[in-house]
Amino acid sequence: MKTLFILSLSLLHFGVFCQTSTELLNKVVSKINTVKDYSATAKISANIPMIKILPSQATIYFKQKNKFKVVSKGIVILPKQGFTDLNAFLSNSSKYQSLLGDTSVINSVKTVVITVIPKGDGNDIVLAKLWVDYARSVIMKSQITSATNGSITTTFTYGDKVSFGLPTKMVFEIDVKKFKLPKSVAADINQKKSLTPADTSKKGTITISLSDYAVNQGINDSVFSK
Amino acid sequence: MLLKNTYNEFVKILSKPRSYLGIGALTLLIGIIIFAMKVDGNSIVSFVTASFEQTLTFNGKVINGNLITFIILQMLIVHIPLLVALVTGDLISGEAAMGTIRMLATKPISRTQIVLSKFIAGALYTLFLTLWLGLMALGLSHLIFGSGDLIVLNSDGIVILPENDILWRYGAGFAVAFLSLLTVSSLSICLSTFAENSIGPIVATMAIILLFTIIGTLDVTVFDSIKPYLFTTHMASWRSYFEDPVPFASIKQSIIILLVHNVIFICVSIIGFNKKDITS
Repeated sequence: MKTLFILSLSLLHFGVFCQTSTELLNKVVSKINTVKDYSATAKISANIPMIKILPSQATIYFKQKNKFKVVSKGIVILPKQGFTDLNAFLSNSSKYQSLLGDTSVINSVKTVVITVIPKGDGNDIVLAKLWVDYARSVIMKSQITSATNGSITTTFTYGDKVSFGLPTKMVFEIDVKKFKLPKSVAADINQKKSLTPADTSKKGTITISLSDYAVNQGINDSVFSK
Repeated sequence: MLLKNTYNEFVKILSKPRSYLGIGALTLLIGIIIFAMKVDGNSIVSFVTASFEQTLTFNGKVINGNLITFIILQMLIVHIPLLVALVTGDLISGEAAMGTIRMLATKPISRTQIVLSKFIAGALYTLFLTLWLGLMALGLSHLIFGSGDLIVLNSDGIVILPENDILWRYGAGFAVAFLSLLTVSSLSICLSTFAENSIGPIVATMAIILLFTIIGTLDVTVFDSIKPYLFTTHMASWRSYFEDPVPFASIKQSIIILLVHNVIFICVSIIGFNKKDITS
């Protein structure tokens, strides 16, 4: 009887947290969904092992559901995952189940950790761990593990567009596989072997500072087809 | 007299059909590379960036005139020495083979000046070939692909240079490439001094370049002490201008070594030609 009581209590406890995490995520998603489209100026700086690039500027365009375009004068490096795919994944709650975890503080903001696990096969995202600011219903940090792109951790900072769930700064931490090309391909036959610590590091960061948001102003589809 | 003879030597170079062979070959090769990049450039670039594409995307105009110029330079700089040697390797031995060298020696000009005028004429031809390469590669590829940031691939990573920071690098790079080709020109003229036929110095020049390049490429410690002194080690120094930061000290060292090689080749040629028996 005592065991049954404890088991019932545990299940009730588990159920309450499941419901809470779903509710929290629904709030986050509904906030994101208030944005039909946006454009913003992005300042991108990348600190990736084996890649040297100066900070650059680009304009980012987004339109529901999944139209996304980066327009830049020069070459910009962006993470392959993390802009729209998480929101697209979370918007369909039937495709995943979520579990509420501990509380945590990210950038002096109290958050709750939600682990999201996709249901069934065929999802590129294997596991997502989200640190959600439950007061403002925004994601402060995410850690997405996908089948094709490995693991990407993103930290978000919010400003005046927090009501739309749009960040002013995103810091992506990515895994970069060891890169080595044969001399013949690089045509760099005199290159001496470099053994600096930067060459052996596998973690890289891409910082994107977003400003000049234009939210729900309407963006022509032709912008995305260029 | 030196200038007049240099002018005559340059006219002689221009009058030979083989002098236009190099220009024709360069034009054709650049055309083929540009055509290939236009048709299938994305897959070539994707091959380069594939290591990163699992986690990163490269947005913007990756294939542009600056990248095409770099690819052209990288591909052709290995082959241009042959085109240079084809002309300059014949400058003295060709005259010896035809017997015109005796007539040349009857002019009121010293043997040293004869050799120097040939070196200067050879240098002018090499300069013209380098300028033609630069003009065709930069001009044509910019006309077709437009400008943009440059992705440079090294054996241990990628450097992305902004568009406004590239032209001076090409200018300096072409200057060092010219010095490298000038060394080839000097070597072939030097070998030409000791030969009695045209083919020998041309083949010998290419054989030396091949041998030195192979020694430079081999990762064997026994050659480590001589590698820094081989002129072929420094022939790719133009590429250093596309690193970030630019290794000016190593470029300076390469320039000095190439210049020293040129001086040695010229001195050996002068001594050799002054002692050469042209009467038989």
